[in-house]
Amino acid sequence: MTIALDATFAALADPTRRAILARLVRGDASVGELAEPFAMSQPAISKHLKVLERAGLISRGRDAQRRPCHLEASPLREATDYLERYRAQWEARFAALDNVLEELKRAKPKRKRTP
Amino acid sequence: MNKLEMLPGAPNEIVMQRDFAAPRHLVKRAMTEPELVKRWQGNSRSALISVTIDARPGGTYRYVYRTPDGHEFSFAGVYREVSDERTVQTERFNDMPSEALITTTLTEKAGVTTMRVVMAFESAEIRDMVVKTGMADGAAESYDNLEALVTGM
Repeated sequence: MTIALDATFAALADPTRRAILARLVRGDASVGELAEPFAMSQPAISKHLKVLERAGLISRGRDAQRRPCHLEASPLREATDYLERYRAQWEARFAALDNVLEELKRAKPKRKRTP
Repeated sequence: MNKLEMLPGAPNEIVMQRDFAAPRHLVKRAMTEPELVKRWQGNSRSALISVTIDARPGGTYRYVYRTPDGHEFSFAGVYREVSDERTVQTERFNDMPSEALITTTLTEKAGVTTMRVVMAFESAEIRDMVVKTGMADGAAESYDNLEALVTGM
């Protein structure tokens, strides 16, 4: 497991940070713009942004005043790929369970075995 | 094939739901009879080599898996609640201290049983770890399994 991916998952564990990412899907935003809908102070938002930036999920613009946040899609995609693979694992198990159930249905009602 | 849905839950949870074209009592049997459990809870890379199940409140269960290189690992726990509709059980991986709580709900309608599984881990971090390790271990093998199922049909 890569360290980068650990950072991604740790960053995604927080609901505020997920909401920030959801907002950034719609376009770049400054700290002030991000703080507004969350009823959080700018320093609190800045702290979340630092975590997201360290995880490579966002990048900050060069403009010293605004430093707009930009969503970086690729680590996010990597993280969702993982979820998708986890899902596929269960999908395979449940497909096997389908087969077991089909057999149980066919076996009903119980017949006496001939010796 | 019915679709497995991953539903939104708390950050420490994994929530899954899927329909099965069978009455509830058969789904229940497939979940609690060791010989049946072995046939679907295993996978092509890690064989489920031993299953013990005592499905009643306070009863325990243990699944032991073996990887192709001979490494063994287990999932085990205690049943907290057992009824036709709901099973609540704890789960520990390799008897580690961290315990998850798994609630499985089965609802039957017109011969179709909807299974909903809520896995609640001790923290969001543990949940994410489970998703990742499940993947690392499960990625190749689950696709192998799918392929085997498709070609076997």
